[in-house]
Amino acid sequence: MAVERIPEIVSNRLLISLGLHSAAIIAFQLSLMQLISVVQWHHFAYMIISIAMLGFGASGTLLALARKKILAHSNFLVPLLMMLSGMLMMVVFPLSRAGFLRFDVFLLFSGGGGWLALLMNYLVFFLPFFFGALAIGIIFIRQSSQIGALYFSNLLGSGAGGLLALWLMAVFLPFRVPLLIGLLSIVSGLLLSDRHGMRWNAPLGAVGLLLALILFSANGQLHLSEYKALEKTLHLPEAKITHTTPSVYGLVQVVHSPAQRFAPAVSFSYTKEIPGGNAVFVNGDFYGHILPPSANPNEHILNYTTQQLPYVISDPEIVLCINAGTGVAVSHALANGAEKIDAVIENRAVAGLLKNDLLHASGGLFQAPGVKVHMLQARNFLARQSTDHYDLIVLPLLEGFGGTSGLNALREEYSYTLEAFHLMLQRLNPGGMIAVSTWLDYPPRTSLKIPATLVEAAIRSGIEDPTQHFAAIRSWGTVTFILKKEPLIKDDLIAIRHYCNEMFFDPLLLPELEPKERQQFNMTGDTQYFERLDRIMARDPLALEDYGFAIAPSTDDQPYFSQFLRIGSFRHLAEIFGEEQMPFLELGYLTLIITLAQSTLLAIILIVLPLFALKKSRYKKSATLVYFGALGLGYMFAEIILIQRFVLYFGQPVFAMAAVISTMMLFSGVGSRLSQKMNVNASRIRNIALLVTGLLLLFAFVLTPLLQASIALGIVFKITISLLAIGIPAFVMGMLFPLGIRFLDKHNPEQIPWAWGVNGCLSVISTSLATLIAVESGFRTVIIIAALTYLLAGLAFSLSGKIFQKKSFS
Amino acid sequence: MSRKTRITFGLGALFTWLSFQPGGDPYAGSRKQMVDEQIRARGIDHAPTLEAMERVPRHRFVPADQQRFAYADRPLPIGYGQTISQPYIVAYMTQIIDPKPHYKVLEIGTGSGYQAAILAEIVDKVYTIEIVPELGRSASRLLNELYDNVSVKIADGYHGWEEAGPFDAIVVTAAAGTIPPPLIEQLKEGGKMIIPVGSPYLTQQLMLVEKRSRRYTTRSLMPVRFVPFRRSE
Repeated sequence: MAVERIPEIVSNRLLISLGLHSAAIIAFQLSLMQLISVVQWHHFAYMIISIAMLGFGASGTLLALARKKILAHSNFLVPLLMMLSGMLMMVVFPLSRAGFLRFDVFLLFSGGGGWLALLMNYLVFFLPFFFGALAIGIIFIRQSSQIGALYFSNLLGSGAGGLLALWLMAVFLPFRVPLLIGLLSIVSGLLLSDRHGMRWNAPLGAVGLLLALILFSANGQLHLSEYKALEKTLHLPEAKITHTTPSVYGLVQVVHSPAQRFAPAVSFSYTKEIPGGNAVFVNGDFYGHILPPSANPNEHILNYTTQQLPYVISDPEIVLCINAGTGVAVSHALANGAEKIDAVIENRAVAGLLKNDLLHASGGLFQAPGVKVHMLQARNFLARQSTDHYDLIVLPLLEGFGGTSGLNALREEYSYTLEAFHLMLQRLNPGGMIAVSTWLDYPPRTSLKIPATLVEAAIRSGIEDPTQHFAAIRSWGTVTFILKKEPLIKDDLIAIRHYCNEMFFDPLLLPELEPKERQQFNMTGDTQYFERLDRIMARDPLALEDYGFAIAPSTDDQPYFSQFLRIGSFRHLAEIFGEEQMPFLELGYLTLIITLAQSTLLAIILIVLPLFALKKSRYKKSATLVYFGALGLGYMFAEIILIQRFVLYFGQPVFAMAAVISTMMLFSGVGSRLSQKMNVNASRIRNIALLVTGLLLLFAFVLTPLLQASIALGIVFKITISLLAIGIPAFVMGMLFPLGIRFLDKHNPEQIPWAWGVNGCLSVISTSLATLIAVESGFRTVIIIAALTYLLAGLAFSLSGKIFQKKSFS
Repeated sequence: MSRKTRITFGLGALFTWLSFQPGGDPYAGSRKQMVDEQIRARGIDHAPTLEAMERVPRHRFVPADQQRFAYADRPLPIGYGQTISQPYIVAYMTQIIDPKPHYKVLEIGTGSGYQAAILAEIVDKVYTIEIVPELGRSASRLLNELYDNVSVKIADGYHGWEEAGPFDAIVVTAAAGTIPPPLIEQLKEGGKMIIPVGSPYLTQQLMLVEKRSRRYTTRSLMPVRFVPFRRSE
């Protein structure tokens, strides 16, 4: 039996310092992502952060290469690195927006240059993570036999960091958040400084504090991309930002301009003045217009758009407005005589503004008699309010005018899945209907996917001939679809045709529609759209298959409604549209692929590099690579899937995400701490890995039904179920990393830094890889792969353990 | 002055001098090539449009750092989140309104001023409105230098140019999700309005609005024909 080393004492001061610093790194990551989302787009935040997070991998590489030298000066280095990391956290974002480092994503892809600036941004953002991770890595390696306690502190700190970031983002303007977070790392460094180190670190800390004070009081000009909606709007005459509210949902800003008008593809019949007004932007992206109160309900602007369709054939009294945003659909329903309106809004910050500061500007919309605002995700609302039924369920106008360049490709849209429409159909009163509108897109994607999803949902709900239940009308810019619970009647068809004639619109789908009726006012030289639509309505299975874009209905397992690109058709599309235009067809998806490619490439470099420097047998290195790589990949895959599932479960994405991450970190931390008391041997590690495999495989098949069955329960039950569902696997998963490190500490301590680096690198790759797999194959595939990676880790350890043990006894 | 700066200035001076020499325009070849390969080859055969495209110095309407791409087959950034349209789109929009020498044309969204310049080569009078003051001022300077039949106004295009209307044609270059009622009013009976619809970076869907006897019709032009194909078995 191998003799255990006498463990070094881990001081509480070290644990507190490590926890604080870990919290700062995670909080900084989240705050940086928000800042980059504001000035560019959130996909690019992932792209840049993935590189920055490779700082963890690089720190492992450096530790592997210069382990002895670094450890010899560790007392001096750890506090210094923490403080440097903290100071860099404060300055990197303002530095990245300085003239010579500023770049614009749209210009990158349109030949406008800026690649060098992008590269410099990578480097700038990499540094605080690199120094910060190096400090943690040194602590882990220096006292690796106590890794259980250290990892506990690291995980607990990371979990708290996520919550801290949310709180800071809710209270402070985005540019101020990294300043406060940076101070945390500086304090961590000071806590660890001995008397000798204080001579250097105290003045450094003072400089950091001064820097924070100066930057905190600066005006914090963010310099948004000129292609961001907010920036463009600010060029309108007399445009000014009237409200700025930090929130966990992002930076909410309201812009007022008399030239900012809302009348989406309004009919040529509308001859009145379209008044200008306010619009809401979240993180610099357009969120919604606030319609000024109208004196005459008959002149509501949406009465002159295709969105009027449901009101043309009925007078709904009870209306549900899904994703009600700034309340445009609510005001439309009120103008058309609705008596009871449920408005479901996910963004509490915007809802709060409309209920308070902008109450007057919106005509008191959210406090109007009969209007009830529900601040949660629509799917969650539908699942909970199973007894309420509606005459009309309205979804907001989809896409943006001119398209969104595929920027929403990776956004989960649970309100537009097959399951969502099925649920909506169940909530309709007799004669009720669902209405969905979209901007016409070129080439047609959204305008085909909506009917495809509605038809499938209708069939699933027992409607035998959906064509008798469908109507759609088209203007020059938008199309509105309605799916009625009962078949359309003759009077409905007469009313729709009459309305189309009045408005210069064309019927697109009606029972027994003549083809020529489709192009009375709005002609198109290309009838392929109509042909495709007819094939979808006729449920021709090939209609969804032989199209260059993915237009099959999205599901809860793959809720990427706005993801249309098929990798297989990339070359074909490039031939049709030209290679230069391809990025703008699906910018979000392309960014994901770039992110994955770049992080994989760098991860390989960071893993391969120490392989050449370490002078141990190749076989043992492969086992360490597989074990720690698999842990990095599997843990993140599981975390991402749990986040996705619980977002739908709780209906509050931001809070669900924070809760899942924190719960996972907490339980993993407890697992890590308890693992310290276990004897380390290969068979134990293998058995724990196999237990995780079993749990995750069980989750792949049981979790979704379990959550669906309990979604309508009270909050106490739901929290209990969540704690069990997240906590149990997290607790077990948390044991594997420290046990592996302790095993290496006994048998091959030179490989510990490498294990740390490999784990970090694979964690980074896994974020974009999990999303790519989810988009292509669904969440269940991701969780099955996570289970398999743990199986692989168990096998790798079993194999390497035997060899190590043989060596120890020889 | 550094050597690099001297060389840059020297080259700049040389190009400026060359561009004022008869037949010495350094971009003339690129322009001809643009017209032949990007415009004529794609079916634009409206002679006045082709002649105008061959005459107007597009490189003068793009920012200095974009001049080397001025005749490339794509839109270019001009600042303030705006672009100068792809040459083919400009030619197509011009051809589709079939401008005649006696025409009075309103343009909404002056941007760089390039579309207004093409129209000014063909028609009697061009009125153009730009909402971004900085863009409006720079386009106004250039257009006033090159033409005497273009009027530029910095204003909200929503209201059109009532005192100058009605117009034979209206060209909306900065597309929006709303076609303002005043513009429809300022279009002559039988007049044509052309509007791009779609992302400024993608092949845009152009839309023609026609007004006849208070009846309004739209026609989608240049449809993005999407060739269906089967997945490989």
